Amino acid sequence: MADGVDTGDELFESLRKQVDPKKLEEKVKALAEREAAQSAKAAQRLGELIGSNSSLPVTISSIRLIGAEHTRRSFLDRIFNPILSANKDKAYTLQEALQEVGSAADKLRRFEIYHPSLSTFIDRPDPTDPNSTPTDINVYIQAKERGRVSLKTGTDLGNVEGSAYGNLTWRNIFGGAESLNLNASAGTRTRSAYQATFDTPILSDPDKRATVDVLASSTLKPWSSHEEVLKGAGAKYSWATKSGTKHQVGYTGVWRQVTGLAANASPTVRTDAGDSVKSSISHTWFADRRNHPFLPSRGYFVKTVSEIAGWGPLQGDAAFWKSEFEASGAIPIPIPGKKGDSGVSLTGGLRGGMIYPLPIGFGSEVKPSRINDRFTLGGPTDVRGFKMSGLGPRDGPDAVGGDVYAAASANLLMPFPRVGKDTPLRLQLFANAGRLLALQDGKKSTSRSVYGTVAQLGEGIPSLAAGFGVVYAHPVARFELNFSLPLVLRKGEEGRKGLQFGVGINFL
Amino acid sequence: MPPKVTPEKDEQEQSSFSRQTRKVADLFSIPPPIKKLFDRVPVVVYPPNQLPQRAPKSARIPSLYVFSTSHDAAAGKPSFNPSCLKWQTFLNIAGVDHRLISSNNHASPTGSLPFLLPAVHSSSSQESLLPVTSNKFVKYASDHGGRVDESPSMRYEAYQSLLDHRIRNAWLYTLYLEPLNFSAVAYPLYVFPNSSNPLVRASIAYQLRIAAEAELLKHTSIIDTDDLYSEADKAFEALSILLGDDSWFFGNDKPALFDASVFAYTQLLLDDSMGWKEKKLCRALRTRDNLVQHRERLLVRYYGG
Repeated sequence: MADGVDTGDELFESLRKQVDPKKLEEKVKALAEREAAQSAKAAQRLGELIGSNSSLPVTISSIRLIGAEHTRRSFLDRIFNPILSANKDKAYTLQEALQEVGSAADKLRRFEIYHPSLSTFIDRPDPTDPNSTPTDINVYIQAKERGRVSLKTGTDLGNVEGSAYGNLTWRNIFGGAESLNLNASAGTRTRSAYQATFDTPILSDPDKRATVDVLASSTLKPWSSHEEVLKGAGAKYSWATKSGTKHQVGYTGVWRQVTGLAANASPTVRTDAGDSVKSSISHTWFADRRNHPFLPSRGYFVKTVSEIAGWGPLQGDAAFWKSEFEASGAIPIPIPGKKGDSGVSLTGGLRGGMIYPLPIGFGSEVKPSRINDRFTLGGPTDVRGFKMSGLGPRDGPDAVGGDVYAAASANLLMPFPRVGKDTPLRLQLFANAGRLLALQDGKKSTSRSVYGTVAQLGEGIPSLAAGFGVVYAHPVARFELNFSLPLVLRKGEEGRKGLQFGVGINFL
Repeated sequence: MPPKVTPEKDEQEQSSFSRQTRKVADLFSIPPPIKKLFDRVPVVVYPPNQLPQRAPKSARIPSLYVFSTSHDAAAGKPSFNPSCLKWQTFLNIAGVDHRLISSNNHASPTGSLPFLLPAVHSSSSQESLLPVTSNKFVKYASDHGGRVDESPSMRYEAYQSLLDHRIRNAWLYTLYLEPLNFSAVAYPLYVFPNSSNPLVRASIAYQLRIAAEAELLKHTSIIDTDDLYSEADKAFEALSILLGDDSWFFGNDKPALFDASVFAYTQLLLDDSMGWKEKKLCRALRTRDNLVQHRERLLVRYYGG
């Protein structure tokens, strides 16, 4: 009996001893290695199998999407019909067939109505079936629909603004990946914003989308002593080109109110207080070839925005042509004696914009721009070293905006010593400059006044600031803490000496 | 000698305390080398940027923001809003030189017109640039060399309330709630200038009428048209008797704020260019000859006919 007890104790002891963390780790590691090797081998085998059969002629006789009860047949037909062999002139090889099926599955994934883990199976039909030919294959795609209604609440970071939001999404409304999105938010600057967006792919193509939206919002603009209340609606169509650039055209009609003026609001802001309607057509184009949206070390980004408001049949109370251009690029800088990527990079940005006033409707009298249409410049996310909207024309305490601007920046990003280049943390040295001007008065024609103002951009040294700081690229936004010194400015422009903190998704 | 020791100790304590507070203050103040750097920048300062084209030209006289058309405002013509016209006339009577700026309620610090924006002088402080609301006009005028001769009395208050309630209520009704007048008079004056968009106009028109109705329902539970007009008629009668054969109210030898208050309504009701369609209120006034002449006198004297 005593022996038995002893052995029991020993067993217990040995069991306890086994909980040696090192040994356990080794075991887990070995297991993982074995699994990885196995799956690699399996993949290789599959690859070889497909490879050796890649030129095997096949015909896709049917494609079945499993688990998509709420998706319309007609919607899926547009995706799958073109790749069915019955609709193709020439036969597939196995490899081609797999590629086509893969790209169709990828399309499905991009509608965001299924969980991203779509699995594809290929089967041969029963050879005894008189309808089948020996080359036939059947494709099965297993999909799992995402919940049709989702409710989300959270906090958001935008350019120099924090907000809390509630969001209701109704997916796949009519079985064709249409979605309705209701959004309500309130933040530090946006007092309230409500938006409803209906979005649908066109002809079952995830790259072609039509959107209709309505919005109502109220935003504080403390740098120009007022609150802007918006109510509007719009329709947009966006598409991607083969080369990966994106376009969007849209119409927007919005009723703007400049209201709730501060006690010390300037006469310029008081003149623009009240109602106005902007009815405009706009086009946006951009190409993003950066390797990271917030902390790029190579690549470039180009964007143009053009807008025409009020002119001809558009009507409304504001009429202008507005163009904006934005470009930024990054190049890695190798350090001599250090192999591979050094983590040091130089980024540069350039922005410019112009408002060309037009007559409203079919009239001939040109109306000058209003405060809600003019550009603002300055702040931690564009020209650093200046306060929010600190550049450009000022009337007393207010930044009243300008009609023409240009801004440029150069940043040298370096990894933190001892932290390494793989962390999203960088030290930066920067210099940036900008000019924001109102259209010249008293010229004979609008075009002269616009060209005169554009020429004026080059007069003297642009308003300039330089400094250094820390950059942290969080997955949702980029954070910067800089020490800056404004070196050149116009009287009235508000520079920021010392520390400046910036949060945003779009930096100059 | 304990008494001698104590003050010394106190001194020591005090100095160490002040040293400590200085340390804390130093922590938050800018260190001298950085202060020196801050003082050096900006290195270059250019003259200020030009203001946008819509910015009003600066003037040496104060600006009175009123309901008006930009054309009428430039010509100094009477405003089409009674409370704007009252204060515009008051400033004219007091001899306070000003320019008119056509505006709307959104521009006002109180949410309603009129208000006065003092002129910018190089010597003016931040405080003196704040807008002056209409309830401070009398003080503003007397502070700025205006001829102000206001002697408040019980009688004055009673008659002022006739204007502020009976006549104002009838005015609100006849302007906003008489459909013919609303579309012929109020719509072009108060709705058109805001926007050219029909939806926005419809929304503003609706808001105006709702606001007028709510204002009338503050004092009664139902809006009785006949009652409103007969009350206004009685008020005109009372004013007519008060004026009698005098040139100005209360037997003054020159006009004052009360004359401006009466003129604000009589001018607008008797002005043919307003284009009234439903003229019940106008007719009630026209039968009082001395009030009609009182309006003529002020119009000729302060608005050049």
